[in-house]
Amino acid sequence: MSAKVLAFINFKGGVGKTACAVNIAATMAKLHDKKVLIVDLDPQSNSSLWLMRPDVWREHVAKGRRSTFEIFDDAIQGKDRFNFDESIIKGVTTWTGFIELPQLHLLPASVELLRVEDRIHELRAPAVYRILDRALKEYVDRYDYVFFDCPPNLYTTTKNAIFLSHSCVVPYVPDYLSLSGFQVLAEYIEELRGKYTDSDGERRHPNVGAVVVSHYRQTGNVFRLAINELEIMLAQLHDRHILESGAGLLQPFIRHCVRVAESTSEHLPVILYAPGCIGAQDYSDLTQNFLTHFQHRK
Amino acid sequence: MNYQELAGKLLHVAERLQKHGNKLEGDVIGKSAVKLATDIEQFDATLDGFLASRKSGELLLETLLRSPAAKKHLSLDLLRKALREVCSKRLKAEELVAAKREFVETVHEQDRAEAASKFLKHAFAEAAYVAPAGKEKGQLQKEFYALGRLSEDEYVTTIAKRTFGELRRLAATNGIRFTDKTTKPHLIKMIRRYARRLAANLPSAAA
Repeated sequence: MSAKVLAFINFKGGVGKTACAVNIAATMAKLHDKKVLIVDLDPQSNSSLWLMRPDVWREHVAKGRRSTFEIFDDAIQGKDRFNFDESIIKGVTTWTGFIELPQLHLLPASVELLRVEDRIHELRAPAVYRILDRALKEYVDRYDYVFFDCPPNLYTTTKNAIFLSHSCVVPYVPDYLSLSGFQVLAEYIEELRGKYTDSDGERRHPNVGAVVVSHYRQTGNVFRLAINELEIMLAQLHDRHILESGAGLLQPFIRHCVRVAESTSEHLPVILYAPGCIGAQDYSDLTQNFLTHFQHRK
Repeated sequence: MNYQELAGKLLHVAERLQKHGNKLEGDVIGKSAVKLATDIEQFDATLDGFLASRKSGELLLETLLRSPAAKKHLSLDLLRKALREVCSKRLKAEELVAAKREFVETVHEQDRAEAASKFLKHAFAEAAYVAPAGKEKGQLQKEFYALGRLSEDEYVTTIAKRTFGELRRLAATNGIRFTDKTTKPHLIKMIRRYARRLAANLPSAAA
């Protein structure tokens, strides 16, 4: 198996990074027979808490063990405690107590990730962005897709995710604040890409490969105009070769759906919780187009 | 626990029972064994029901028919086409629920579940696909951006050369909603307003 490794990234919060990563991954596992790993890198642990009940999650990642924090902690302390097979959660536990979607795996996060930035200076190795690569490289090819659910910043953990990724997926809410941040983000990723390439010619060259829109509403002019502004910005960034060739806005846009919000409280992806709702329908079509978009990309 | 783990657990218990069965005695383990036997019998019946008629491709077909994509894209017309192409039969039902039932029954009768799944998967993928915008859209978006960067006088001169039809196409492509009652002067005003906003919001993207 040769995995496609994708970082779900945007330094603006509340744009749907976790919702997209969790629901696209679950739809791939359920309807397209794909084996998918979600790596939660956000100290808020939203992917973890979406797919695990809080008590189970707390016990699993107690003191930062068996989580993505342990990878960074090992690197900082020069230890080797992280065990991939013991750390991942396989499938999603439904309310019957049985596990569904056995093809969907999760490497959970823990709140201790908050401390990583404070302590990363203790690490003497020059390439702090290679920590995840060293820890996960040998496991990623067990999967068809690996998704990094990044925190809303561009600090160490996010840089690590970008370094290991083939491509970046930018979840986006159609408003001006997202638009203003998007250009900065695309330029920053391009800058990082240059650094990685300089340090090691054989590295992957991650760049923005797709934008997915969520919280979309069809009423009035507001969102249509905001999408138009984004499309024009994408065209301009393409002209400057800032984006991956063929990178673009994936459709459909994910409409606002209360059942998706509710599915977080049930700790289930929407395709298991409410497969008939508009959110599940949108994620289903988006996943189909997502697979088509990425399947031939290196 | 998942179903593979349950299978492992049952095997483990079965092996121990087989090995130590002769030595087991007493009320406590006896009662527990009777309860287990009843539960296993019930579970076996449920499993039978689940697996009956789920030959190759049938589980996938069922998953597809219950999927969010089916909810969005499955129509009477699509089922008619599917039945004609997969089973060479005409659909008799006139409403969706009955048509679905007829489709599944016919597919099962003819043992064509795999072909039916393939057909539906392809149809749903086609329905989800959104063709990339043509060159004209890109041109009209560029034009819209350029209009936003013009001074008031330049805008008035430039826009005066456009027909109402061209203006409507420019507005529609760039996300401006209008009705049949929208007049040309009002449309010109709206285009000006949103084009200026766009140019202000994307001042340096072309740098």
